[in-house]
Amino acid sequence: MRIKKFKVVLGFFSFTILIGLIVATFYYNKPAVDVKDSEAMYFLTAQDLIDEFLEDEMGTSRKYSENIIQVKGKIYNISSNKGNSIITLKDPNAESSVICHMLPGENKRILQFKKGQSIYIKGICTGYLLDVIMVRCTLDD
Amino acid sequence: MIRNMRGIYFLVFGVLFMSGLRAQEKFLTKEGYVSFFSHSIVEDIKAENNQVLSVIDTITGKIAIQLLMRSFIFKKALMQEHFNEHYVESYKYPKATFSGKIMNFDQLDNRNIETEIVGTLTVHGVEKEISTKVDVAIKEDEITLTGNFKVDVADFNIKIPALVANNIAKTIKVTFELHHKPYK
Repeated sequence: MRIKKFKVVLGFFSFTILIGLIVATFYYNKPAVDVKDSEAMYFLTAQDLIDEFLEDEMGTSRKYSENIIQVKGKIYNISSNKGNSIITLKDPNAESSVICHMLPGENKRILQFKKGQSIYIKGICTGYLLDVIMVRCTLDD
Repeated sequence: MIRNMRGIYFLVFGVLFMSGLRAQEKFLTKEGYVSFFSHSIVEDIKAENNQVLSVIDTITGKIAIQLLMRSFIFKKALMQEHFNEHYVESYKYPKATFSGKIMNFDQLDNRNIETEIVGTLTVHGVEKEISTKVDVAIKEDEITLTGNFKVDVADFNIKIPALVANNIAKTIKVTFELHHKPYK
């Protein structure tokens, strides 16, 4: 009887430890946020985003950091760096821009766009240098 | 902190706009590359940043570099999270900056040469004077700086919890590659 009870307790602890290890491994190896399949938390125009940073850089940085945001703006430039596309959104007379570093899978879709077109881009805002910087960006409908 | 940030803006804008606006005097990149690498017995950690801002004044050899800590991309999301939230506290210190001078810049004329770069590196709100060797490649329409240097994590008041102390090296290797184009 005692042996049976011991086996049950041992089994329970082994199971708990196994589950713990699986959870810890999953947590340790958790993937980066999937921007493409995630809903944006904030929706705004490129110029509004720039204006917010110019008014309160630290506060705006805290507000948007690590959140997915969707910006609407006019394409000022399309370039590439190390095989990944970069779309710059900027009003013609503005000083600053929103520089969107696109995900590798977006290159083909970007070919259909031209300078001057309005587009929606979803991504993660990392802050402001001379421009607002967004990474892991994807085209949004 | 705010005073430091204003100082850096002043420097960047200063390098860009003061002493006239002759385009060929200012070279700039907004897509510079900086990575850091930590080797320990437990694991290797690498993070890369491809959104580095760097401006060179070719008359004086002055250089100003800024990068966002949150732009560093890690292989593992958890590492990136811990790096930003617990180690470098990006919500308090969102940028790392370097302001300094490329030595003997006026003597480097359209060629590849190794020289020295000296200045102040600011990370996690802590300033430290550094000097390192840099390979400079000068062409008519591009100035490229490449090199690497080592920094001690403790010098920048970055506290690593004892639990993961063996996972992170005490000395980190920083690598940079900056392709500057004429500022227009």
